[in-house]
Amino acid sequence: MAEADVTNRKPQDEVQALFEPQGVREEQTPRTDAEGHGERRPAAAPASPESAPPQAEAALAPIEEPVVSPHPYATKLREQRLAKEASGHARRDTLLYLDGVNKSFDGFKAINKLSLVVARGEMRAIIGPNGAGKTTMMDIITGKTRPDSGEVFFNGDVDLTHHDEAAIASMGIGRKFQKPTVFESHTVEDNIRLSLAGPRSVLEALFHRKDQAERDRIDAILETTRLTEKRKLLAASLSHGQKQWLEIGMLLAQDPELLLVDEPVAGMTDAETEETARLLREIARTRSVVVVEHDMSFVRELGVKVTCLHEGSVLAEGPLDQVSADPKVIEVYLGR
Amino acid sequence: MTPSIRWLLAALTFLFSAISVAPVHAQESDPAATIQKFGGKQSYDETEAVISELAATGDARVARALRALREGDLYWRESDEAVFIAERNGDNYDLLDPLTGEPAGSEPRGDMSKVRVKNSIRNAVTTALGSLTLRAENPAQRMRAAETLFSEADPEMIEPLDAAIEAESNADVLIRMQEARAAAVLASDRPAPEKAEAAQVLANRGDRESLTMLNRFANSTEDQAARTAAIAAIAAIENNIAFWNQAQNIWYGLSLGSVLLLAAIGLAITFGVMGVINMAHGEMVMLGAYTTFVVQEFIRTSAPGLFEWSLLIALPLAFLVSGTVGLVMERGLIRFLYGRPLETLLATFGVSLILQQAVRTIFGPSNREVGNPDWMSGAFDIGLMSVTWNRLWIIIFALAVFAALLIVLNKTPLGLQMRAVTQNRSMASAMGIRTPWVDAMTFALGSGIAGIAGVALSQVDNVSPNLGQGYIIDSFMVVVFGGVGNLWGTLVGAMSLGILNKFLEPYAGAVLGKIVVLVLIILFIQKRPRGLFAQKGRFVDA
Amino acid sequence: MLLARFLGPRVWILIAALLLAAVLVPMANLYLSPSHPLHVPSYMVPLLGKYVCYALLALALDLVWGYVGILSLGHGAFFALGGYAMGMYLMRQIGARGVYGNPELPDFMVFLNWKELPWYWYGFDQFWFAAIMVMLVPGLLGFVFGYFAFRSRVTGVYLSIITQAMTYALLLAFFRNDMGFGGNNGLTDFKDILGFPIQADSTRAGLFAASCIALAIAVLIVGWITRSKLGKLMVAVRDAESRTRFIGWRPEYVKLFAFTVSAVMAGIAGALYVPQVGIINPGEFAPVNSIEIVVWAAVGGRGTLLGPVIGALLVNYGKTYFTAVAPEFWLFFLGGLFVFVTLLLPRGIIGTIDYGWETWRSRRRASREEKGESDDGEGQPLASPAE
Repeated sequence: MAEADVTNRKPQDEVQALFEPQGVREEQTPRTDAEGHGERRPAAAPASPESAPPQAEAALAPIEEPVVSPHPYATKLREQRLAKEASGHARRDTLLYLDGVNKSFDGFKAINKLSLVVARGEMRAIIGPNGAGKTTMMDIITGKTRPDSGEVFFNGDVDLTHHDEAAIASMGIGRKFQKPTVFESHTVEDNIRLSLAGPRSVLEALFHRKDQAERDRIDAILETTRLTEKRKLLAASLSHGQKQWLEIGMLLAQDPELLLVDEPVAGMTDAETEETARLLREIARTRSVVVVEHDMSFVRELGVKVTCLHEGSVLAEGPLDQVSADPKVIEVYLGR
Repeated sequence: MTPSIRWLLAALTFLFSAISVAPVHAQESDPAATIQKFGGKQSYDETEAVISELAATGDARVARALRALREGDLYWRESDEAVFIAERNGDNYDLLDPLTGEPAGSEPRGDMSKVRVKNSIRNAVTTALGSLTLRAENPAQRMRAAETLFSEADPEMIEPLDAAIEAESNADVLIRMQEARAAAVLASDRPAPEKAEAAQVLANRGDRESLTMLNRFANSTEDQAARTAAIAAIAAIENNIAFWNQAQNIWYGLSLGSVLLLAAIGLAITFGVMGVINMAHGEMVMLGAYTTFVVQEFIRTSAPGLFEWSLLIALPLAFLVSGTVGLVMERGLIRFLYGRPLETLLATFGVSLILQQAVRTIFGPSNREVGNPDWMSGAFDIGLMSVTWNRLWIIIFALAVFAALLIVLNKTPLGLQMRAVTQNRSMASAMGIRTPWVDAMTFALGSGIAGIAGVALSQVDNVSPNLGQGYIIDSFMVVVFGGVGNLWGTLVGAMSLGILNKFLEPYAGAVLGKIVVLVLIILFIQKRPRGLFAQKGRFVDA
Repeated sequence: MLLARFLGPRVWILIAALLLAAVLVPMANLYLSPSHPLHVPSYMVPLLGKYVCYALLALALDLVWGYVGILSLGHGAFFALGGYAMGMYLMRQIGARGVYGNPELPDFMVFLNWKELPWYWYGFDQFWFAAIMVMLVPGLLGFVFGYFAFRSRVTGVYLSIITQAMTYALLLAFFRNDMGFGGNNGLTDFKDILGFPIQADSTRAGLFAASCIALAIAVLIVGWITRSKLGKLMVAVRDAESRTRFIGWRPEYVKLFAFTVSAVMAGIAGALYVPQVGIINPGEFAPVNSIEIVVWAAVGGRGTLLGPVIGALLVNYGKTYFTAVAPEFWLFFLGGLFVFVTLLLPRGIIGTIDYGWETWRSRRRASREEKGESDDGEGQPLASPAE
């Protein structure tokens, strides 16, 4: 499916390239791509419309739209709109679209020209050594951190950089933290209840009444996460692995389109790890999932496409065997 | 750190070079004894001899007695022939010391005799007054004479001044003499153009006294040109005064800022570096102040000669007292509460109540008197700005403590371990640093510095059990405003809050100014929750 | 009914006790002869009334501290503002009976040579207006302050410190004579309230009863809030704020709601307090007062309904006792209480009892690990006095 997008995108891609702000485009380095599926873009970007009007004209020609007015400002606006539309086409079919994202903390580049595309219904594993920028990437997607530059789009055309955590969560992006965070002084059931998709207003919560539909949803999620037995227990009394599942259950309750799962099996027993892999595969049948994980056997068990991050950008992408055979990946993991 | 010391030196050099030629008390003969020679019945010749003797002393202070003599206000007491300046008050004379002008009791009129004068005596006095001090050998004395004459603005003195100006070689003294002459001219009935010129001279002098004279002149003169000149001069002076007022405001601001810095600097360690909310911090300051009190009491009773040294003796003791209390607090209380800042806040508040009440029980609830040593009292002028020694010393002291603390944090093993522990506790402990020991020492250091601050603050504030309470909120504001975990932020925060406070005061009054500052800080924290110089990074809010 | 199961029997006992006290104490004061063993002396009625107001105040603080984790060191400010609003009404009721006999201006304004009533005093001659202001002014301050603070995610000790700065700024402001609130002396010399003489035993009995009823209603409201889904959300915000954010809630609004409701409750407590003690002055804004409220809630047990009420009653009874017997020891005791509670009794009295009960029950359940009998939660177990 992802492959199909790429081929579809090609023509518009060039148009888009013309109208993108110069800086962003030029920073784009052609990505090393084992599978050869990433976007290949002209290495030297054409200049902006102002400095190269004839080219712009030529590119605009195929799109039939009357030029409203020769006024430079109107022309510029129109070009911007067209460019926006064009880039929208490019990512229309993606669920998560990161392009040229940069973020640095006090001079340290945590994310460096990161580009990543996740298609609808795809499950993706992200690996990478410590400090590769995995958690910062999650922070950027979920609105906790604002990138210095670059594009982050959800569902094709929702610019995530303009929204905060709560808004992004409500759009359908769920996030599980590295360290399991559940509401320890609430019961398992209440944890799920608080996470259930629905209105998020304070007054609604004050006058909220439990109903059968809600109970059914909770039952179903508890069943999926194997926590039915524990529903009346305080979350604080759960084991580490059970807390991880509860957190995944809370994500499911949100009914998200995209789940970001940060190291779901850290500190789990082998049996629990296996169970978690099964759980994630089950979830991935209906939703997109991005899993950040160190545990290679777990990633193997997931059996999905793998992206390896290093120093804030993508080092390699493809099936696990291919990625792990990549000399650059080996170098990064084993040292030089 | 080096820049700060260089800055300090530059500031000091500036200060000391700006102190206008300090008065030098060179005493060749005792003028008071000479004045007494007017006493007793004597001939005019004898009186004249005394006048020239006085003139020869070259001491400007005798001018008072001479002028009294000229006006016929100099009397001697029949009983002991002691000489006084007398003012009639009903049936009595109110007596003034002829040299200092201090009140010296009163006597019935019958017991006093006038020192007799005639015109030749009066002329002798006038000449003497002129030559007396304006011709003295020592330029400092001439300077003083000119200053005295300036404030007297006596038209009689124009001629002697002219003569002195003719002979004067020292440029600074010359200016003062010309100003004195100008003041005298304004008060005289000289022609208007000359007065206009004089007004210009006063405008160049530009202080409040000149302003008063010019105002008086502008209101009384009829001559249009002279009045215009005077008004222009007034405007110039007012500008000058406004400038110095700003300077004075900045000075007051720095002074308040240094007090805030002293109060907050210990907190910058315990709260800023360790993250411990110590609500008893103010009480550590209070303990330091009471240590000073106890030291002074001890010195007063056992070794009065050491009084000048009392503050220096108190400094290490205050550090020890507050540091020890801090150590006990950390070991006995705070270490159980690490990672629970709100609980720490409450528990340390409890400690602050206990410490306050303990001090109240031991020393009583009222203010205790802590004396200023001589080198801490008095004031001097820079331009139109008055600088008190205690404020100056406190600024210097605050900066010194700040510098010392930077050195401790950046250059000593303890400082290194402290920074290691605050940055990554588990790693530091894995490296073999005894983290509990470092915690205790850091807290003791912060508390000890609060104690030192108490020694300084005892010089400018009331030493009472409530001393600490007044500083705790301000200190927290400074640390939070400057940015937690950043000593430089604390310095900048303290100074800017101090100056802001003092600049708001004239417009809003002291209390309202303070409220405005508090509200501004509250708004500021909303905008930048981590302060002016926030530490940035991925792990800050982890 | 449902609510009964919801709040648990202990809370209903508390409410019943409050309502009973609202009836019995005034009767014991008014209708029993002074020699009767159950007679409540007249000085004691306003004293008890004062405790009840403090209990209401502690409950208000508990709503934000115990349930949402916001340690406010400025709740004394809301209390005092409510008190001032009531004080202004009482001042206007004096009318021409003041020392200067000015029908329009309170004495202190005449004394300061003010010619007319400042605009913000308008309307306070009407009880209904004052009653609205009692809730509106603290509520508005809480809302505005909370809006800015929570929106910029000021949390933890930073929030505590700026709430303290807020009450400190108000303290300084109300000390000023030209604020028009009586400066240093505050508002006092009240004559009557709603036409009843304020010193009369019957009026005081009425005020006591009103305080008890207000507290009972407040317990019900707080109980309702904290047992609702919103209440669960509050605790969730307290324990894992960022988690609530990532499942789509906006914790700042949850906090803002609790903070504003709490400020209004504190204001009402202040308004009931002022006619019973007969004075309101800037001292009520002192930061120390606000911290004392915290210790009431801490002693009783934060995050519970009963805790703050019991804590406020106990600590203030202790204060009355100590200041009468050994005034110099009161601060030692209070200071020691802060240390003791935080170090050794972090859950407070009620919280510790609940916790003990909870562990005992779970141990019992574990011992007979048969069928999972459904349990009806009463009293909110405080899993961890989290911060």
